[in-house]
Amino acid sequence: MNSFYIILFLPFLFAIIVPFLFKYINKRIHTGWFVLFVPLTIFLYLLQYIPIVAKGDTREYILPWIPSLNINITTYIDGLGLLFGLLISGVGTLVILYSIYYLSKEREELHNFYIYLLMFMGAMLGLVFSDHILILYGFWELTSISSFLLIGYWFERKNSRYGALKSLLITVFGGLAMLAGFIMLILMAETYSIREMIANVGEITNHSLFITALVLVLLGAFTKSAQFPFSIWLPDAMEAPTPVSAYLHSATMVKAGIYLVARLTPIFAGSASWFWLVAGVGIVTLFYGSFNAIRQTDLKALLAFSTISQLGLVMSLLGIGSLAVYFGQSENGILFSAATFAAIFHLFNHSTFKGSLFMVVGIVDHETGTRDIRRLGGLMHVMPITFTIAVIGAFSMAGLPPFNGFLSKEMFFAGVNDVANAGVFGLEQFGLLFPIIAWVASVFTFVYCMILVFKTFTGKFRPEKLTRKVHEAPFGMLVSPIILGLIVVLVFFFPNVLGEYILIPALAAVLPMMQINASDFHISAWHGVNLELWMTIGVVVVGILLYKTLKGWVKLFNNYPYRLTLNHFYDQSLAGTEQFSQNVTNRYMTGSLRQYLVYIFAFFVLLLMGSFITLYGFQFDFSKFAPIELFDIAIVIGIVLAAFVVLFTSHRITAIVTLGAIGYFVSMFFVLFQAPDLGLTQFVVETVTTVLFLLCFYHLPKLKKNIGKISFKLTNLIISLAMGATVTILALAAFGHKVFEPISYFFEKSYELAGAKNIVNAILVDFRGFDTMLEISVLAIAGLGVYVLIRQGSRRREQSNETK
Amino acid sequence: MNNLLIMPVIIPLIVGMVLIIFPKNIILQRALSLFAIAASGLITLNIMNQILDDGIQTLQLGGWEAPFGISFVGDMFSVLLVLTTCIVAFCCLIYAFRSIGEKNEKLYFYPLFLFLIVGVNGSFLTGDLFNLYVFFEVFLLASYVLISLGGGKKQLRESLKYVFTNIVSSAFFLFGVAYLYSITGTLNLAHLSSRIAEAGQDGLITTVALLFLIVFSLKAGLLLFFWLPGSYSVPPTAIAAIFAALLTKVGIYAIFRMFTLIFYHEPQVTHLIIGILAAVTMILGALGAAGFMDVRKILTYNVIISVGFIVAGLVSMTEAGLMGSIYYLIHDMIIKALVFLIGGTIILLTGTSNLREISGLIRRHPALGWMFFIGALSMVGIPPLSGFLGKVFITQGTFEIGYFWLGGIGLLASLFILFSMIKLFMNAFWGETILTEEEEKGSTKGLIFPIALLLIFSLALGLGAEGIQVYVAEAAEQLLNPSLYIDAVLK
Repeated sequence: MNSFYIILFLPFLFAIIVPFLFKYINKRIHTGWFVLFVPLTIFLYLLQYIPIVAKGDTREYILPWIPSLNINITTYIDGLGLLFGLLISGVGTLVILYSIYYLSKEREELHNFYIYLLMFMGAMLGLVFSDHILILYGFWELTSISSFLLIGYWFERKNSRYGALKSLLITVFGGLAMLAGFIMLILMAETYSIREMIANVGEITNHSLFITALVLVLLGAFTKSAQFPFSIWLPDAMEAPTPVSAYLHSATMVKAGIYLVARLTPIFAGSASWFWLVAGVGIVTLFYGSFNAIRQTDLKALLAFSTISQLGLVMSLLGIGSLAVYFGQSENGILFSAATFAAIFHLFNHSTFKGSLFMVVGIVDHETGTRDIRRLGGLMHVMPITFTIAVIGAFSMAGLPPFNGFLSKEMFFAGVNDVANAGVFGLEQFGLLFPIIAWVASVFTFVYCMILVFKTFTGKFRPEKLTRKVHEAPFGMLVSPIILGLIVVLVFFFPNVLGEYILIPALAAVLPMMQINASDFHISAWHGVNLELWMTIGVVVVGILLYKTLKGWVKLFNNYPYRLTLNHFYDQSLAGTEQFSQNVTNRYMTGSLRQYLVYIFAFFVLLLMGSFITLYGFQFDFSKFAPIELFDIAIVIGIVLAAFVVLFTSHRITAIVTLGAIGYFVSMFFVLFQAPDLGLTQFVVETVTTVLFLLCFYHLPKLKKNIGKISFKLTNLIISLAMGATVTILALAAFGHKVFEPISYFFEKSYELAGAKNIVNAILVDFRGFDTMLEISVLAIAGLGVYVLIRQGSRRREQSNETK
Repeated sequence: MNNLLIMPVIIPLIVGMVLIIFPKNIILQRALSLFAIAASGLITLNIMNQILDDGIQTLQLGGWEAPFGISFVGDMFSVLLVLTTCIVAFCCLIYAFRSIGEKNEKLYFYPLFLFLIVGVNGSFLTGDLFNLYVFFEVFLLASYVLISLGGGKKQLRESLKYVFTNIVSSAFFLFGVAYLYSITGTLNLAHLSSRIAEAGQDGLITTVALLFLIVFSLKAGLLLFFWLPGSYSVPPTAIAAIFAALLTKVGIYAIFRMFTLIFYHEPQVTHLIIGILAAVTMILGALGAAGFMDVRKILTYNVIISVGFIVAGLVSMTEAGLMGSIYYLIHDMIIKALVFLIGGTIILLTGTSNLREISGLIRRHPALGWMFFIGALSMVGIPPLSGFLGKVFITQGTFEIGYFWLGGIGLLASLFILFSMIKLFMNAFWGETILTEEEEKGSTKGLIFPIALLLIFSLALGLGAEGIQVYVAEAAEQLLNPSLYIDAVLK
């Protein structure tokens, strides 16, 4: 086993010892300090791959799981995987460091927290390094599960449970759709390996299932990355402890969908459906998120919507970048590759600034006891360091220099402007929508960034609205956001270091069919006065105006009826599903045996008669039938009459006796058909059962009148007649359709074979003696059952007598 | 000829008969029952490896050559199911020690339990249609008594429906046997297969095949499952668990046997109908599971969903689909016993099955809660748990033959499984803890071990899939090649 697997599974392995650390050492040392070691090790270990990947090399490892089914944990390290791996372990380290100060070691159940977190980390790492598509799916679902557990970490809270269930249902729904898409991919390409799929992409693109698979896979990606309209789970996921929100619900897990889209770009990109779905959904999400973020009063909710919006931005960039595959190695191709490059760049930037912002909000929450901006304000002087980080993060998100968000935002503008001029896939008509929506969304983004910073940190400090005495956070809690803030600034000044070693290899992995020249993707803060710069200036100017007039127009949001929101739709459909399910089930599960028998008989008649008539037709061969004698007719009439008496009598005794009579009539048939021994047996059986019945009934209360008369029901009559007819018709048809000689000729030699002169006896005790033995056992069990039932009954009577 | 084949039937039968003589000696009852199950299991393991080496094993009872006597046939599919039956029975038996109550133990619980296993194992192993009927009677009779054990009013009412439905289906079974014998003149499964292959499966034979489909659907709970939710809800936990794990599976087994070995010539009719039944079953089961806030109802409707799902793999008749079904079948037997035992334990602790009255059990019972959680995920098919391979391969099988609707419904059903099971988990285990130790109605002492044992088997099945893959692949191979079965019996 390669050392890479030890690193990959380190989170899972370490999770096993976490409960012990918590139980025995936590009183002295916060469990988080030990857990911190895991992502740090992984991060340092992964660093060694940077030079390898930067050179354009990749690494591949195989760990057999079910080799005979070709299901192995094959991993593949390329630029894209490595970028994610570094983000997961890097942000993971910072988040765990932060959580040590955020979560009290006295009050919290830290072992649960860290086990879930490690489980998530392991799953996420596995996800981004897997080449085997089913293994990728496995890790994918595991991230949903661990996210569920983390959101529900404070499981006593109703909102936590609500949010956990919502996220689980939506992401697993997407996961299942994705699995269906994956299975189609597997069938199309006849391989489990993503790289082999990419190598045989022709097989897939020309297949009739291509579009279906594409849509299904995208469902997975969109639900996971909280794209519109599946984004509704993310705001409710904010019930998780803030370190979790920073980690899963902004920096890593929600980017799994983006990862998937990037990873499968070589397979699907180049088609119009892929472009429109990815870019279109992305840009709508960008707008939807930024628009909704403004009206939030909870800081975390604001960040959640902002995350949705930013994910939409990256998604739309990936969609735009997919045009590069369409154009191929041409000027346009390189132009659109730049959009993919921007996607990767912004993805990285978002993790840094959003991570730091979540931590800032966590600090504010932790120190003041609230995240409601209506109660906050003026914290700048009390918490200067936190304020500084907030400014860095928020301004970067707003796309202002000198922060990394500015760079990628400008590249984003460039991308949408290029799309407007792409002139394919119907963009001639609709292309202009992209820059317009992008610009409007950016204005909103600017506004909520200002809200985030200025409503919280400036204005009047109102300690009377807060429950705690406010002071700056402890240093340990500030370390992680400070590091992230530093990266935000450093990347602005030295973007091309990151570009060369991390981003360009990742780009090469997303667009393997393109020749990537590093010189085409040089990031610079200043590229002269162009349209993108004007757009940014416009954003700032309009944004400031809107922010200043915020009070005037933000109320408009409140007029939007809750009934029309997606959340309302989710709640209603969940409750509706439950109600509908219950109604449907109660409707047919009436608990009435007679009803169930009607279903069964009706099904029997419909299915068998349907099949008989359509597949076989009414064919009867009566040639082998015995002639009907007068005796036969008489017996049949007797049976019918007796059966009617059973139905209509109101006396138990009469019913039983006539039932016995039917039995005797049947025995007569055996006699007529020359099977006297069977006839005798039947006589004995009928006599014994009738006597037994009579004995039992002696103890029963009188038959009630209303049971005695069966009310006439047409359906029941039809079904019972049809039932009888079906059985009879099939019997007649089967009797007349003897295809083979029966094997019974063998038993005619019973004397030679078994020394028995009586064939029936020989069959019963020798040829098929095993059946007889079991039938005797059945009788024994039945006897035992009667005894058990009677004993239970008598004991109950004793008990009830005692209680009296 | 392999005499070992009869052992999984004859050992529990003899031990059960002996135990009837000593109803008061509980220690002896427990020890011998456990021994009978364990011995059957170990012998089955041995047979499994013989099959791997030498192909399908047969035994002609009484030395009468097939098709005239009764044949016992151990192909990999049957034997895998017998082994799983023994595992599940072993764990449920241990659970029963602590939970079934002394009064039931003295009222022949153990012999009846063993007879049930006799019937189930025999149904898997027999190669004769009428003998299959007899084995059905054996386990049905035992189940009639077991289901009413304890004798509550509601229990008796539901048992009555159970008994009635099964008597009806037994009558159908006899019709089917008679029709089929009239047409083909034989009852030996292998012989039936070869004769029908020779003469062709005409419309009448297909109609009879559908009659058998109805018979076994009634047993399996495929569409005709009306009797199931009530009757699986009433018996004591250990019995409900064994019912949920095994009884529907016998019906499923029989459907597989019939439609892979004998009636496989007209798949565009029979298998399409099976597919439709499977789809409707999954939908109705999913609705039932999602609609209620009741531990028992959620669990029983989940049994129904899985029936539809397993049968969907048969519809494909591809290697992937059948392999998926076999994986899922084994997985489902173990996991259903597991969740039923946990569900029963929840009811034991709280005295109610209404989820609205249960909350926060995880504080005092973390092991129970997490085992349930893992079980639930396994049912949904989250890798690397045991339901995963089954889910993937069944879906792949249905996709391969172009039945996307069927695979799609299967995947959607697993979303409903997830919803219902997580609902159960969140309501029962999460939330405020409302019961203190004194307020709990029962104790989990001695109940956790058998549950954990089942969980270990389930985990091993998932993680160690490579270990059983050879057996499953062999089983699928044999199901797809009826000639292997025929040659083994009629050679």
